[in-house]
Amino acid sequence: MNEPARAAPLSVTAAATRNWPMRTSLAILGLITILCLIGPLLSGHPYDQVYRDYVLVPPSLFAHPFPVEIEDAKAAIARRMHVRIEGARVEGDALHVTLGAGKRIDPRALRAFARSDLFAPAKIAAAGDDGRRLTIDVPLKRMIFLFGTDANGRDLFTRVLIAGRISLAVGLLASFIALTIGVAYGAAAGYAGGQLDSLMMRAVEIIYALPFIFFVIVLVMVFGRHFVLIFLAIGAVEWLDMARIVRGQTLSIKQRDFVAAAEALGATTPAILWRHVIPNAAGPIVAYLTMLVPRVILLESFVSFLGLGVQEPLTSWGVLVADGARNIQGSIHLLIFPALFLGATLGALQGLGDGWRRAGIQ
Amino acid sequence: MLRYFLSRAAMAVPTLFIIIALAFFLMRLAPGGPFDSQRALDPDIANNLRRIYKLDRPLLEQFFLYLQSLAHGDFGPSLHWRDFSVNELFATALPISAALGTKAMLVAILVGTGLGWVGAISKGGIGPRLVDGAALFGIVLPVFVVAPLLQLGLGLALHALPVGGWNDGAWPNQVLPVITLALPQIAIVARLMQASLTDALLMPHIRTLRAFGMPRSHITLHVLRAAFPPVVSYLGLAAANVLTGSVVVETIFGIPGMGRYFVDGALGRDYTLVMGTVVVVAAAVLAFNLIVDLLLAWLDPRVRYESRP
Repeated sequence: MNEPARAAPLSVTAAATRNWPMRTSLAILGLITILCLIGPLLSGHPYDQVYRDYVLVPPSLFAHPFPVEIEDAKAAIARRMHVRIEGARVEGDALHVTLGAGKRIDPRALRAFARSDLFAPAKIAAAGDDGRRLTIDVPLKRMIFLFGTDANGRDLFTRVLIAGRISLAVGLLASFIALTIGVAYGAAAGYAGGQLDSLMMRAVEIIYALPFIFFVIVLVMVFGRHFVLIFLAIGAVEWLDMARIVRGQTLSIKQRDFVAAAEALGATTPAILWRHVIPNAAGPIVAYLTMLVPRVILLESFVSFLGLGVQEPLTSWGVLVADGARNIQGSIHLLIFPALFLGATLGALQGLGDGWRRAGIQ
Repeated sequence: MLRYFLSRAAMAVPTLFIIIALAFFLMRLAPGGPFDSQRALDPDIANNLRRIYKLDRPLLEQFFLYLQSLAHGDFGPSLHWRDFSVNELFATALPISAALGTKAMLVAILVGTGLGWVGAISKGGIGPRLVDGAALFGIVLPVFVVAPLLQLGLGLALHALPVGGWNDGAWPNQVLPVITLALPQIAIVARLMQASLTDALLMPHIRTLRAFGMPRSHITLHVLRAAFPPVVSYLGLAAANVLTGSVVVETIFGIPGMGRYFVDGALGRDYTLVMGTVVVVAAAVLAFNLIVDLLLAWLDPRVRYESRP
């Protein structure tokens, strides 16, 4: 009888305690996941909120508006109100301005301040000179754009994290779909054997030769560009390797005594596959899965990069990188931050998979 | 060897046929048509257009018509680029993509093999780390991140190379796209090469050659021959990857290759153009796999003997 197949350990924690690249990878992945889950709630900006006064702001740790921005915005508003600025100073979180004009200033015109993204509604502190001079207090709206803003004036920090949610979700769901199809197909082919097996594997080979990007494009067209359907399309092209691996495992597992015993006891074929074959193939399946998830995330970014993936205002890392690639001259932060998150995730997943396989070999 | 080649080639033909059929019918499944635009066409005009392009015939008849013209080497007229046949479009685009892809593959094989060699012969030390680093680099930086970064660094900051465009294939215009395409493949080839070289160096026949005091160059040849099969079998996949990567690279660098026809054709429901790209790409991948099979059989006689009935 065959030696029992040496399977990769199924406990991540057990493997991780012995292996520093794996520990680091897990830590990075955990950090990114947590950031993506709770970050958008803490950033203070909705992911689709457009700040027209903060377009392509560079990343900064300090709260906007900066003195220069206040200066510009104040001057622009005064021009729009047809008034002069006779004195202005910033005190804490408020701006005190004295406005003067040739005729009476209509207090309703002060709404211009509230319309700006920099200021809260203005309050009149004092009026003089028959209403031709107004002293007003304008509270400042303090906002932090940690990663800066994009070309539409949306907070990049929030958008990168929201994109991370989408990318990670697509990665997991598409992998799950590929896993389901691949395992079912591979186990069925391997267990059936003979003519059916070679026919099914021939089909896999044919699909291999099909340029997969075309496949994804057509599937996206058929399904529409909804994000829920993108992982269907990706899952539908990424199951081939999984099917091969599971078939190979099934071929050897079905020769084992316990399968013969189950057959003798009258277990049905699906039951044998589910209870005996698939659990024994779990090691290689999980090992391959750690390679599949980064591949799927990459594929999703790739499809999104071409403009076929998630649609605005929702976003994914691929969309953001594509945006950044279009704006490299001048606003490099648009490329750097999403690329950093995407790269860190891919690298961490890879490290996790490597560590896992190495732990399986030892 | 000839027999082996023929049996492999015979398998490629039905595969190509099935791919064509699959692509043809999948494409028609997608909603929308080639003549959809913002403003709906006059129904008579739309019907006329459909009749001229024979899109009003039953689907099966269209399929056979397409196969017929394909057998004559005719990809048909483009539905979107009026006055152009797909053949004419490909005549300019295909050489560009082929040149890029071939160069990228060559760079990947040469640099990857070199890196893998360094990694395999230096135990401990910097060699394996170099390979690990390159591999991680290739994984962490996908094509569409590398490309803009290279544009920024070498193009915009240093003004060393043009940021985009083709310029009739002038070499400065080719450097960045080729590097971008080759980088991820270098990473994988280096890793594979390192692993298989490490194995090959420990093989009994190499030890025997060493014991006989053969010259170094002689041993090197034998080591390479023993180490190449895994790398060669990866090349089929690498070719497919380079093809997909070139879609992005051509978009980013503004290169008038096949890549844009792929995406634009599919989005515009340009059936003939998309079918043309699928046929060309699938044929290229199949041909490349055939070459890979032959190379494997040449490198390792066991492969060709095993396949004998």
